[in-house]
Amino acid sequence: MAEFATLGERLAEHGISRRAFVKYASYLGSLMALAPEVSRSMAAELAKARRQSVIWLSFQECTGCTESITRSYSPTLEDLIFDFISLDYHETLMAASGEGIEHARKEAMAANKGKYIVAVDGSIPLKDGGIYSTSAGQSNLAILEETCKDAFAVISIGTCAAFGGIPKAKPNPTGAVSVADIIKDKPIINIPGCPPIPEAMTGTIAYLLAFGKVPELDHLGRPKAFFGDNIHDRCYRRPFYERGQFAKSFDDEGARAGWCLYEVGCKGPVTYNACATTKWNGGVSFPIQSGHGCLGCSEPDFWDKGGFYVPLSGSVGPTAKLVGGAAIAGAVAGLAAAAVARHRKSSLNKG
Amino acid sequence: MNSVSPMTGEATPLALAVLSEIATALARLAETGEETTIDLKSLPLSPDDLARLGELLGEGEVRCDLEVAGRSEVRETGFSGVWWIRHLGLGDEVALEEIAITFVPEILHAHPDDVARAARRLAEAVTAPLADEEETPRG
Repeated sequence: MAEFATLGERLAEHGISRRAFVKYASYLGSLMALAPEVSRSMAAELAKARRQSVIWLSFQECTGCTESITRSYSPTLEDLIFDFISLDYHETLMAASGEGIEHARKEAMAANKGKYIVAVDGSIPLKDGGIYSTSAGQSNLAILEETCKDAFAVISIGTCAAFGGIPKAKPNPTGAVSVADIIKDKPIINIPGCPPIPEAMTGTIAYLLAFGKVPELDHLGRPKAFFGDNIHDRCYRRPFYERGQFAKSFDDEGARAGWCLYEVGCKGPVTYNACATTKWNGGVSFPIQSGHGCLGCSEPDFWDKGGFYVPLSGSVGPTAKLVGGAAIAGAVAGLAAAAVARHRKSSLNKG
Repeated sequence: MNSVSPMTGEATPLALAVLSEIATALARLAETGEETTIDLKSLPLSPDDLARLGELLGEGEVRCDLEVAGRSEVRETGFSGVWWIRHLGLGDEVALEEIAITFVPEILHAHPDDVARAARRLAEAVTAPLADEEETPRG
């Protein structure tokens, strides 16, 4: 198949008709709450687009984000995205290794100069010259700077790349920082989560591909389509909260009756993510539905917010302070909506 | 709908709200030709609301099963121009469910690019067997 064929032509070669684009665009349109005419033009634009070169860099991470994005079974709607992108470099998934693959990365960068997307999972250690995580003899910092130089955009996949995540948890022995702490001259999209919801990752890539632009982001650089609502507002247990019906422990009568998990530490009220609506594993469930409070994994410094089982009301002080810090870190994204969202968030923390 | 509960004769308020939105959209389609899509997944409808809405709209003349990147079902309701579309994804879970108020849902149309490609393939198929016969010795 010619390198420069459109996605429509490529899929047709495999006997997949343009109806697949209509279906995929409707599906994404629903996930991202796009207007029907926008998803219709998305179908047409996607079919006209070329395969998107994606270079995936893995730094201080656990590979859970890759597990999440590849968690699809037989050919379905959800994994059409893998026909739309050309994953030119991914240490965990690629078969090749050594000098050859490093050469391939540089070739992909040269061939798609200014057009390729860099996906990063993992944080970047800066302490002691960045020696705590290296590959091919280069520090993560050097690889990141080199690879992002000619990128069109950078997607920070997972909380570690977006905010530093678990490697950055106190006492942060490796001096871990986020991608946005280093790269200042490229659009950065944060898709946090530990791991992120697969649809948030693939949906964002498909949006970039179809429209050639970054979707609308919140004050922490997260696409509003997936991170616009907080878990608490969309939680099916919300009516119990309103009625003051709380589980007091994980095995009491309230827990068995499916009451609100606020008092056993649920971070839903201060966590912005799509878990309560998009859910996990093809819409099967999400943590709260399985009986455990939200850990707040799509928020900066979620590991250090005073304990997963401590109610938010019991950790108002430190939480409020940390959120302030996070807002400053997120300012790189430079967004107009920041003031409003930050205000909403602070009120929640104070409340 | 697998989970239709027994008819109680009472429509739920949410089912009625969606029905009224469909009515407005259908009147618009009839008058101006303007199409509307209502994403049922984005509305806080319970399985009961969906079942009631299904009952209120009824069954029409057309039912289509599609095999395109997974299964899809398109069926016309008892009201011409009101289509119930369900796209299935991973594990045959409903990935997208929508009501399309349109003359023919877009996904049923054959795309001109696909038609052009099919025309080429068919033309090849018409000539190919002849070529095969000349090359293959009969025995």
